[in-house]
Amino acid sequence: MIKIERASFDYGPTNVFKDLNIKIEQTDNISIVGHSGCGKTSLLYCIKGLKELSEGSIILEGITQKDIGILFQEDRLLPWKTVKKNILLGLDKDLPVQKYIDMVGLKGHEDKYPSQLSGGERQRVALARVLIRQPKVLLLDEPTANLDELTKESLQDSILEVSNELGMSLILVTHHIEEAVYMGDRVFMFGDEFKEIDTKGNDRLSEKYFNSVREVRLELKGRGDE
Amino acid sequence: MNKGYFLKGALILLIPWYIIAFSFSMPIVPYPHLVLKEVFVELMRGEVLIHVFYSLYRVLSGILLALLLAIPLGIVMGLKDSTNKLFTPIIYLFQPVPKIALLPIFLVLFGIGDLSKILIVSMVIFFPAVLMIKDSVAEINYHYVELSKAYNLTKREVLVDIIFPSILPSIFSTLRISVGISLSVLFFSENFATEYGIGYYIMNSWIMVNYLQMYTGIVFISLLGIFLYRSIEIIERKMMPWKLVEPSNRS
Repeated sequence: MIKIERASFDYGPTNVFKDLNIKIEQTDNISIVGHSGCGKTSLLYCIKGLKELSEGSIILEGITQKDIGILFQEDRLLPWKTVKKNILLGLDKDLPVQKYIDMVGLKGHEDKYPSQLSGGERQRVALARVLIRQPKVLLLDEPTANLDELTKESLQDSILEVSNELGMSLILVTHHIEEAVYMGDRVFMFGDEFKEIDTKGNDRLSEKYFNSVREVRLELKGRGDE
Repeated sequence: MNKGYFLKGALILLIPWYIIAFSFSMPIVPYPHLVLKEVFVELMRGEVLIHVFYSLYRVLSGILLALLLAIPLGIVMGLKDSTNKLFTPIIYLFQPVPKIALLPIFLVLFGIGDLSKILIVSMVIFFPAVLMIKDSVAEINYHYVELSKAYNLTKREVLVDIIFPSILPSIFSTLRISVGISLSVLFFSENFATEYGIGYYIMNSWIMVNYLQMYTGIVFISLLGIFLYRSIEIIERKMMPWKLVEPSNRS
């Protein structure tokens, strides 16, 4: 579905990443972890077409750019639009917006402005704004970075639920190992070397989850990356 | 408006006025109650209202014309560096010039009718409005630019959904600051080649040594100012309802 081949990205004179190869199939959830500045977010922006690779290519098979949605680290809601109007930004006003508001658990907040919502609620509005566009691939750029622990877990569960329901694949960028393991079927470690760990079928209390977290942590620590 | 504050404000104005009127005992400084009585007499006669409407028409036309020109130019200057570099020096050149100094030129170029007066008023508002709008557009958060790209927004959608709401606060700030100055400029311009307008009414009353009527004109130009300020506030509230909501304290 998405093939990233020999991808390199330079920021000015600095090489951020090079020779990156990843293949992402439909309904595949992958997490990308790595230290700050390793190019995780730049890779997402390149996939979405907001930035260009310096070398290599990103090949979309069976999907177009319009099938790729992105949830930014900041909610990026327009303060002058209500929840409903933010979700419908640039879309036909007759779309079933209520369905997506209910899906992200914001029933009753339709006519509120972003300033009247909590951080978690605002990020849920941003999620609904992506979902209504029915993406086949959802890019997540540290979407829970600014949230408290419980709100973070609740949003993670909501994202997984709706992605399963709608048959989307997720590409999550994060520097939280636990989040990466919980959300991803594969965790992809960014750095001088790229390494993949299979983490499919985890839940937060399973032994495999703890082992996967440990494995990713040891790998990153071994590189001095964390 | 809170009645208590209104009463206190009125006392702050009226007490010194009574003291000055009593101290000078001259017709040029009449007692406030005599002015108030004259205001009602003039209102009953109705003539003063014709002058007020003329001034209102000129100042509203001036505001409208200024915004019609300043909004598109300010937006383009904020978006395009080349346009900004071309127009900014011209605006900086004209901005400090007292606009009333251009009245003789405008009277010759645009005639002695309303047009020259409307243009003078619009110039007072146009220059600060362009600069404020340009800065607001240039300061739009880059996150919204990425958002518009990520969501494939059309140019029209970017304009209507992102740029226009971003510049609204600047437009209203400019109007609040400029309305007072534009009324002063209008007052002066209405002393030339016209027999209508509150400026003409005040200065004609002075020449005719009718001081009570002159003060009536001053009261009406003040009321015109209050009307404009309140109208701007009301329109601002209607156009920016998101500014009125109680923000959430939850993180």
